Amino acid sequence: MEVQPEHASGEIKHLQRCINDLVSLLALPAVWSGGDPPQILHTLLDALIRMLRLDLASVRLEVPVGEVPIEIVRIAGLRGAMPPAHEICEALNQCLKNDSRKWPPLLQSLMGDGDVSIVPLPLGLQGELGVVVVATQRADFPQQTEALLLSVAANQASIGLQEARLLSHQKQLANELDQRVVQRTAELAAANEGLKQELAERKRAEQELQRSEAFLAEAQHLSRIGSFSWRVSTDEITWSEQLYRIFQIDRDARVTFELIGTRIHPEDLSVFQEQIERSRQDRSDVQLEFRLQMPDGAVKYVHVAAHIRGDRSQLEYIGAVQDVTERRSWEEALSKARSELAHVARITSLGVLTASIAHEVNQPLSGIVTNASTCLRMLAADPPNLDGARETARRTIRDGNRASEVVTRLRALFRKKETTNESVDLNDATREVVVLSSSELQRNRVILQQELADDLAAVAGDRVQLQQVILNLLRNASDAMSAVDDRPRQLLIRTEADEDNHVRLTVKDVGVGFSPHSADRLFESFYTTKNDGMGIGLSVSRSIIESHHGRLWATPNDGPGVTFSFSVPCRPEGLTTDGVDASRLPSVSDAA
Amino acid sequence: MDALPRQAHAYWMGLRQKRRATERPLVSVVDDDESVRESLPDLVKEFGFAVRAFSSPEEFLASDFVRQTKCLILDIAMPGMSGTDLQRELKIRGHGIPIIFITASTDKTVRPRLLEQGAVECLFKPFSDAALLEALNVALRVN
Repeated sequence: MEVQPEHASGEIKHLQRCINDLVSLLALPAVWSGGDPPQILHTLLDALIRMLRLDLASVRLEVPVGEVPIEIVRIAGLRGAMPPAHEICEALNQCLKNDSRKWPPLLQSLMGDGDVSIVPLPLGLQGELGVVVVATQRADFPQQTEALLLSVAANQASIGLQEARLLSHQKQLANELDQRVVQRTAELAAANEGLKQELAERKRAEQELQRSEAFLAEAQHLSRIGSFSWRVSTDEITWSEQLYRIFQIDRDARVTFELIGTRIHPEDLSVFQEQIERSRQDRSDVQLEFRLQMPDGAVKYVHVAAHIRGDRSQLEYIGAVQDVTERRSWEEALSKARSELAHVARITSLGVLTASIAHEVNQPLSGIVTNASTCLRMLAADPPNLDGARETARRTIRDGNRASEVVTRLRALFRKKETTNESVDLNDATREVVVLSSSELQRNRVILQQELADDLAAVAGDRVQLQQVILNLLRNASDAMSAVDDRPRQLLIRTEADEDNHVRLTVKDVGVGFSPHSADRLFESFYTTKNDGMGIGLSVSRSIIESHHGRLWATPNDGPGVTFSFSVPCRPEGLTTDGVDASRLPSVSDAA
Repeated sequence: MDALPRQAHAYWMGLRQKRRATERPLVSVVDDDESVRESLPDLVKEFGFAVRAFSSPEEFLASDFVRQTKCLILDIAMPGMSGTDLQRELKIRGHGIPIIFITASTDKTVRPRLLEQGAVECLFKPFSDAALLEALNVALRVN
């Protein structure tokens, strides 16, 4: 081909410029690196306007549905205000559709009304990324090199946008990851904090538990109270530390009733075993006092209180054992002092009474004996002193009558004692007496069993007098068993309805009993089998019961011991005052 | 026949009376109880002693028989001076009369106490004639 030198030099310049532009375009991705799509598009449009001497360049970037499309417009040598970018893009789009060679009306005021070449430049293989639209008033646009530059620019832009998009996606992913890491870290921190708190809480709880355990142990130690549980069905027994100490049993030992039995005082073992068996059956709360005997022979007094809980299959006694040895010794000292005082008081009052009775009776008795002796001597004399004998015999009779009068006066004195007449619940009265004498009964190691009838009718009479009778019967029973060591000292007190609208109270012991021929004498005044007894208890008791229109009697048991019973009439409905008949107290003429 | 024995009896009685007054030792009974003062002297007389009864220690002390009394049967509890008061008073006055206490009390603890303080015996009413006689014999032997 023939080339004109002038033309050739222009062509070379043109090509050189084209190569420069290509190099610039190829360098663009390096400039874009790390930038976002708007930045990329701005530089792209600027580069295109500059390289291709364009009048206008615009870009519309496809974005996911729901987002605002990125639309950018650049106008070379812009003078005045530019219409909104999206309107320009839309107008250019219309022009391309209509293959218009004129500026769209929207831009005519800005760009003039000359012919224009508008060229679309899709981004991405199918234009899926968007479209760049360039426009120039040059008619020869685009020349071959310009078309090349445009295509390269579009490619470069596509690559840049793809990278940017990738980068943005990566950034987003990294961000999300970061956020997730942060969130997870925060969650972990929170969990960690919670765990820490929980640990601290647990530690504190543990410390508190240890502390309260220490408190409890110390309290048990100080108060000498140990606690225990006893599962009735399996005989599983659990002890607190203090209880091992009280029983002086090694902490590692397995606690069984057999083991406990080795520490119980031999004389109290039967009471203890009795109680265990009763607790198994009754399932009632327990209050018990008994003695322990340590291997070195030392004796301890313990008080046991336990209550039952749980259902039928899982019955369990929970209780406390207190070492009351010290208290017991105080109590014993106190009780001794009290009983000494009571004894002194009794001796004083009874002593005064018996002394005066004795004095009153002994004086005439003395006269009788002396006169009778004198009489015999006078009759035996030689010759017999009949006058003297007659005189002394007369005096003997007179003194006999005097003695009888003394007894009458004493009876009258007893009879004067006032009786009250009230409604008495024999069960309540019995319970009070039992409470009053429980420590004495326990001291005598008596196992008291109460069988008090429900719905027992009230009786009419003097509550205190009836209680004296009950107390007297209990004491007698307890005394009668004081020498019994080969069997449990069992004492049964029972109330029940008796025939003929009466109420009966029974006291049954397993004591020494009485011989059949002394049965008649039991209720006589001054008859006693005791070394320190006055022998008036049963006599007075019978008087009291008879004054209540009742009767008091004794029967020997089939086994050992005696049963004393009294039966008194129930209080009639609408009774007023006429319950007790004082005149029915036994009189001298009955006795004589 | 009739007169002689009667005379003899009278004579014998007179002798006994005389001997009683002169030879028989005097036993004094001090008791506020009248039946004792009635009955006891007769028994003591039957034993063969001379006897005087007084209703109170004061009466006895005021009588002329303190010196002659060879043995004192003395009640313990009396209104006014008691038996032990009299015992003390006699000691103070220098009369060492053996004393047999008699009491209607049942308190057996008084006996050793009284014996310790010099009493010959302490009898609890009612006592037998034999016990009294034995105590009297002991008292008069001591005397």
